[in-house]
Amino acid sequence: MNVLSLILFIPLIGAAITLFTKSREQARIVALVSSAIPLILTVMAYLEFNQGLAFLKFQFVEKIPGISSLGINYYLGVDGISMPLILLNAILCPLTVIYAWGESKQSNQFFALILILQAGVFGVFMSLDFFLFYIFWELTLLPLYFLISIWGGPNKDYAAIKFFIYTHVASLVMLLGIFALYFSTNVGTFEIPVLLQAFSDIASPEMRAAIFLALFFGFLVKMPTVPFHTWLPDAHVEAPTAGSVLLAGVLLKMGGYGLFRVLLPMIDGLGPYRSDIITLMAVLAVVSILYATFLALAQKDLKKMVAYSSVAHMGYVMLGAAALNFMSVSGAMFQQFSHGLITAVLFMSVGVIQHSAHTRIIGDLGGLAHKMPKLTFLMMGGFLASLGLPAMSGFVAEFMVLTGSYVNPDMQIFVILAMLGIVPTAGYHLWAMQRSMFGSFNEKLGDLHDLAFYEMMPMAILVLLIILFGVYPGPVINIFEAAGKIIPGVI
Amino acid sequence: MNIINLISQFAPELILTIAALAIMIIGLGLEAKEKRVLGYIAALSLVAASLIVILRGAGYVQLEGIIADSLTIDPMSQFFKLTFLLVSLIVVIASIKEFDNHSNQDEYYTLILLGTIGMMVVASAIDIVTMFIGFELASLSTYALAGFNKKDAASMEAAVKYFIVGALSSTLLLFGLSYLYGMSGGLTNIAEIAEFFSTNPGVIQSPIGIMALMLIIAGFGFKMALVPFHMWAPDTYQGSPTVISALLAAGSKKMAFVAAFRVLLIAMIAIKVDLALVFALLAILTMTIGNVVAVSQRSIKRMLAYSSVAQAGYISLVFVVMSPEALTGGILYVMSHAFMKTGAFIAVAALGYVLLKENSNAKDVDHLDRFAGLGKRSPFLAFSVMVFLFALAGIPPTAGFVSKFYLFLAVLKGGFLGLVIIAILNSALSLYYYARVVKYMYVLPPESSEKMKLPIAYTIAILLALIGVLAIGIVPEPFVNWAADAANVIGL
Repeated sequence: MNVLSLILFIPLIGAAITLFTKSREQARIVALVSSAIPLILTVMAYLEFNQGLAFLKFQFVEKIPGISSLGINYYLGVDGISMPLILLNAILCPLTVIYAWGESKQSNQFFALILILQAGVFGVFMSLDFFLFYIFWELTLLPLYFLISIWGGPNKDYAAIKFFIYTHVASLVMLLGIFALYFSTNVGTFEIPVLLQAFSDIASPEMRAAIFLALFFGFLVKMPTVPFHTWLPDAHVEAPTAGSVLLAGVLLKMGGYGLFRVLLPMIDGLGPYRSDIITLMAVLAVVSILYATFLALAQKDLKKMVAYSSVAHMGYVMLGAAALNFMSVSGAMFQQFSHGLITAVLFMSVGVIQHSAHTRIIGDLGGLAHKMPKLTFLMMGGFLASLGLPAMSGFVAEFMVLTGSYVNPDMQIFVILAMLGIVPTAGYHLWAMQRSMFGSFNEKLGDLHDLAFYEMMPMAILVLLIILFGVYPGPVINIFEAAGKIIPGVI
Repeated sequence: MNIINLISQFAPELILTIAALAIMIIGLGLEAKEKRVLGYIAALSLVAASLIVILRGAGYVQLEGIIADSLTIDPMSQFFKLTFLLVSLIVVIASIKEFDNHSNQDEYYTLILLGTIGMMVVASAIDIVTMFIGFELASLSTYALAGFNKKDAASMEAAVKYFIVGALSSTLLLFGLSYLYGMSGGLTNIAEIAEFFSTNPGVIQSPIGIMALMLIIAGFGFKMALVPFHMWAPDTYQGSPTVISALLAAGSKKMAFVAAFRVLLIAMIAIKVDLALVFALLAILTMTIGNVVAVSQRSIKRMLAYSSVAQAGYISLVFVVMSPEALTGGILYVMSHAFMKTGAFIAVAALGYVLLKENSNAKDVDHLDRFAGLGKRSPFLAFSVMVFLFALAGIPPTAGFVSKFYLFLAVLKGGFLGLVIIAILNSALSLYYYARVVKYMYVLPPESSEKMKLPIAYTIAILLALIGVLAIGIVPEPFVNWAADAANVIGL
């Protein structure tokens, strides 16, 4: 069996075993082991991954015929676009399991769902066949739906069903786009690289634009981008912390991944609509950055604020992609990676606050630093990274996106607009920090206890990684740059 | 081909016939509590018949003699026979517990087997008279089965409605077929009729010919429960004993699809009358009304009935597109739907059985509220219901997804983008009411915290359906190939 298949199936097998465990103790140990093995395998694969070939061909390829009459195969492989994201997913899941060590409500189901989610995301990043890609894309919906609707907050029903229907409809539109691509190219296969190559041969430019937009819609909702972001704050607010971490940390990255894997190689094939669509992407990006930033500024609920900050940060991914400059594109890919780490810290911090203070409303908190110094320290790390402090990974990514995009003369105006968001971004982060963590302690909150070891460990590891990749982004960014250079249409 | 050889070609049907008669005779000498053995006999005969069909596979058999004009053995008949046999098998296994100690078990199992034979005859029939006889055999058996709980007013209402509508639709169908017979100068073989009309197109394109076609479409429309001919289905499926609802939705309704594939498709090719618009309207109405009405249902049986109507809408897209790929998708859909729907109904039956066992005065055992907290009370049952419902909604990796994928792909290839969009929107809408049941099962607290004891018979039946749904979903290749072979029979 190929290493990718192992990485993909070990969490699934682990999920099945976890379901049948009798106690919380067994469940969490099985879950930890079956999410840690993929991490080890991924790191091994990452070291073995040939950076020189990162952009030439897919590596660790595995291909087994599926439905041959339609040209559907079980076709896995990774290249520079997907390898670091697989690493991100492999890192986040065991840390989430550790963070959720204390989960006591139906813990076997809880951990099993996390493992299924992990497998689904792995599948999306590995699939080179659209049929398979779609199956894994949909597979990620169910676990999160259950995580929200069983372990969620007071308004979980509404949030769960909204999340499910919203993203499912978007997936169906994407499926329609896949169908159209399959027929218009008439190559008789669902293999993503082949279809993308054949895309520019489609005769009618309207058809090409329609296919592009259908796929684009599917990815937009997942990322999400304003105005299709409304499911995200609801889902985050109601989801349990582990669900939020994975939702913001890796699930949203699937949308961005679709952008790089599928859409960018198609852009040059758009013909007369090329410039309009690029402008559309840039406008959506800038609107996301600004609108979500100002929304975040206005939030009373700490978690909702973090959720909106996710939307704004994903806007940078879109902006970097739209600029089509190799620096901006690889910066956007790195932004995905870095945001995955940062947002996980933020959601974990908020989760701890919720757990110990029983409220997330910023105005009701205050002075937590007196009682929870460890949390404050790690949370500060996450917040500073999120607002783009140099020497942290978020800065590297956003810097690359903005400078790279500015090189493209059509993008300059959008870059300038996007930069208007920088000050409010710093503002809401610091302001929230100040009101909730510093100042005098709000006595109404009662006796608070600081981080448990299992909460502190994953957060500390993440903060270390954020700093590591901020100072020395090489191992990840080299692969992204190599991949970014070779995407057709990227200069 | 000698007579022994000829008979051996119909071994599955003959095994069922012998078993049906044997059950009736053996049943005379048994006490009610011993009659469970009859269920075992029925199940064994169905297993034997399915094995023969599977071993023979999707091949053609050249038949000779008197039978050759009226029956055929080809990949299509084999595919549908297998579907019907497996549905009946699942239903019979579940019935062993459902009707344990019932005094009329001998009639019950005999009727199921006879009904199955009727469906199998329809699957093989290439002659309109033979087909009609098969239809009536299956229908008469299922009329009686629908009213099997004779002390239950709802069951009686279900049976009477089903009977009246069934009889009416049979007459419409027969009336239409008799016109074909008359206009073609006395032909009954479907292929010959088609050939006659393609050489004499004027005859069928006359007003009478069109009326004959409309009557046939209406006749089949009732049996397939297409809107506006669907009114009987919800009442019947809701009122019948739940295991029988499974047989009706997954078996006898699908029989109408085989017949329609054979008669309507061949006739429409030959006649070159463009009915795409008519069928497009029927399909759109059927899926939309089915799904919209299903949203407001609180009785799960009724919801499944409307979902069944909606699914018939998807399948009837085949008549619009009329391409080999679409037919392949439709045929695959029929088998997938058979497994999903049987599984769902049997799971509802199992829940009802357990609830009535706990409290014999329980009412509305298929109400949505009864599903609350099922995930805690019976993880297996809840998990299976979830798989069946998500399969019906078309979520991967289930049979429902593969067949929807294939069918919609084919419709799009035929150039009907609008239809695909409507179908996909419908599919998204349907997710709402399926997910609601799942929410009840896993999110809401149960009425009592006691674990449920699921009788082994139900467990086996549900497991079989589960295997079917997941096998088609995960390893679709052999099923798709068989369905494609079956579609080739029609020669679109």
